[in-house]
Amino acid sequence: MECSFALTGKDYVLVAADTTSARSIIKMKIDEDKIKTLSPHLLMAYSGEPGDTVQFAEYIERNIRLYHIRNLYPLRPQSAAAWIRRSLAESLRSRHPYSVNLLVGGFDTADQSPHLYWIDYLGTMATVPYAAHGYGSYFASSLLDRYHNPDGTLEEGLATLRRAIDETSKRLIVAPGKYMVKVVDKDGIREIEL
Amino acid sequence: MNSFASRFIASSAENEIRQAKAMAEEEGLTDAMWGSDAGFGSLVTGHAFNVPAVPDPSAFLRLHTDDHADPNCKIKIQHGTTTLAFRYKGGVIVAVDSRATAGSYIASGTVKKVIEINPYLLGTMAGGAADCQYWETYLGIQCRLHELRNKERISVSAASKYLSNLVYSYKGMGLSMGTMICGWDKTGPAVFYVDSDGTRLKGDLFSVGSGSTFAYGVLDQGYSWDMSDEEAQELGRRSIYAAGHRDAFSGNTINLYHVQEDGWKFIGNYDVTKMHYEGPGPDVPGAPVGGYGYDVRTHGRFSVLPTAVPA
Amino acid sequence: MEAISHAGTVLGVLAKDGVVLAAEKKVTGKLLDLSEAKQGGYGGSGEKIFLLNSNVIGGVAGLTADGNSLINYARSAAQQHLLNYNEDIPVELLAQRLCDLKQGYTQYGGLRPFGVSLLYAGYDPHYQFQLYHSDPSGNYSGWKATCIGANNGTAQSLLKQEYKDDITVEDAIGLVVRTMSKTMDSTTLGSEKLEFAVLTLDPETKEPKAKIYRPVEVDALLVKHGLAKKDEDTEMKTA
Repeated sequence: MECSFALTGKDYVLVAADTTSARSIIKMKIDEDKIKTLSPHLLMAYSGEPGDTVQFAEYIERNIRLYHIRNLYPLRPQSAAAWIRRSLAESLRSRHPYSVNLLVGGFDTADQSPHLYWIDYLGTMATVPYAAHGYGSYFASSLLDRYHNPDGTLEEGLATLRRAIDETSKRLIVAPGKYMVKVVDKDGIREIEL
Repeated sequence: MNSFASRFIASSAENEIRQAKAMAEEEGLTDAMWGSDAGFGSLVTGHAFNVPAVPDPSAFLRLHTDDHADPNCKIKIQHGTTTLAFRYKGGVIVAVDSRATAGSYIASGTVKKVIEINPYLLGTMAGGAADCQYWETYLGIQCRLHELRNKERISVSAASKYLSNLVYSYKGMGLSMGTMICGWDKTGPAVFYVDSDGTRLKGDLFSVGSGSTFAYGVLDQGYSWDMSDEEAQELGRRSIYAAGHRDAFSGNTINLYHVQEDGWKFIGNYDVTKMHYEGPGPDVPGAPVGGYGYDVRTHGRFSVLPTAVPA
Repeated sequence: MEAISHAGTVLGVLAKDGVVLAAEKKVTGKLLDLSEAKQGGYGGSGEKIFLLNSNVIGGVAGLTADGNSLINYARSAAQQHLLNYNEDIPVELLAQRLCDLKQGYTQYGGLRPFGVSLLYAGYDPHYQFQLYHSDPSGNYSGWKATCIGANNGTAQSLLKQEYKDDITVEDAIGLVVRTMSKTMDSTTLGSEKLEFAVLTLDPETKEPKAKIYRPVEVDALLVKHGLAKKDEDTEMKTA
């Protein structure tokens, strides 16, 4: 089942999402990238209703790109997250609400600080040091309460992320096999092999 | 005056779109005039479906089509199917069964579940037969228009995205499709899975339908990128046979297609029962001697040692 | 355009740690009721200098009624941005919003364009302190120091002579007051003829802080710079 995790550390945000696309009991794809790069310093992991996820993520991606083109600078993470939350909240009261859960992680180049936002399909937004969606969150939230270090190095953050993923793999029956991990910091976005 | 000024108030994205539309209507401008509409022209805007005048169209549809809840319901939708498509170095193999079931009744054994969109594109049919047939034919029209407008064939990626956006716009209204859009374009062989949830996946290998698990079992194990054309065709055939044998809602015959750089080619139609006992025959390249059936395949071999006759 | 060249001068100077705006008021007279201005909500008499958002001050030259309508529009646009993005609207974006509106009135027949030029003095984290000017056609541009309204040519050349890069707000205030005193038609300078505003960063919160001077504060400022109306001649002699 879909799981995503994210955590902040000293000057970076790590975002991880599983890479499986499933339909009923069948894995249709095992290398699907469910983390979008919204701008040079902004990542968004998405999960939820099939179809909605990609449609919503592309809508967000293109609007944030448009803002970047029009204004020459990208939206800051706070503002992007606020806008994304608003889009979901408006969708919630429409005839076809998007059922999409998000983790938005970004690095604010204006004041050199990492930011992470947990957003659900109801349009709830929380600013958090670490976050998870899906069944994995039942294992990871307590684990991260215990092990997360807000000023940890990237190596330390990766080790903590690995803990969360390993624990989920160990205890969750329907645990996903593979994850994609991305990091955003002052240098931009890169993919990391766990 | 006020409405004029309000045009320039940027608020929500929805508002902006509404305003843009209102503006376009006022000016008599449509996207099609600008050659926009993703290159699909006025047919898109000109096209609209009548949705039943009921509060919840999908519930209405379910009421008349759900044969589990009501075996006497008026419309029965074809559910059982096995379809598969995979990409390898020599192109794309598309193989499907031909059975149509309506409840426990085999409505037809000669259904064409591969839809020939154009000489370079194939679509497969699983779920609602009419939905697939109609929308994939419609997709064919749009692909041709793309060709005329842009003097260039549409990519498999773009065609599949057009279909996925289209079915997504009907999400929740009861469309039922699980399809693979297969073809060859500038990027080489390509397969995209598109379903009525709006999911669209790019991949090497897909199988859809009630028999898909059985097909996957054979397909995944036999698959490799570097297969020869003969091996690939045989794998497709054998995988559908496996599903036709194990899945009650799949079977009758196998239709096999091969997509190469110069477009698709129909390879043949194979009877599942004949495959079971005899196999495709000696004149089919890549096929083994003898039938696919377990008993046929393992004839004369036993896991229990023959009891030694006491001297 | 014609109306603007006769309108009261509005002058802006960008400093490294703030922006200064000053405007010459045309509607004056003994009988004018200024009680509201004296108690004013956020300061200023509300004729030419307005608070558009917590990070932007606007100065208006031209038809006052059109100006009021644009100010209202700008405030709405800024609030709309706050609602959508949970941040103060970037200064240039606010200028763009108004220019999009102004441009619209030049494009369609049967509508009269806004007879207003504006100066925007603002701050945002992307480009820090900024000063923009927009004209009735919907053109806008960024400036280190600029002037609109009557005698803007004289003021511009004065500013060009005296402006230095990395000027401080304190120096900028002095520059603005001096330039205003030289360009204004009347020989006397006082709070009934002058509006004044400064945008700086709050030293504690690091958030932009707009200060629009009240009439008493304007008078105090003029005294400080030796430009108060009655003492002008005597001061010059003693100096």
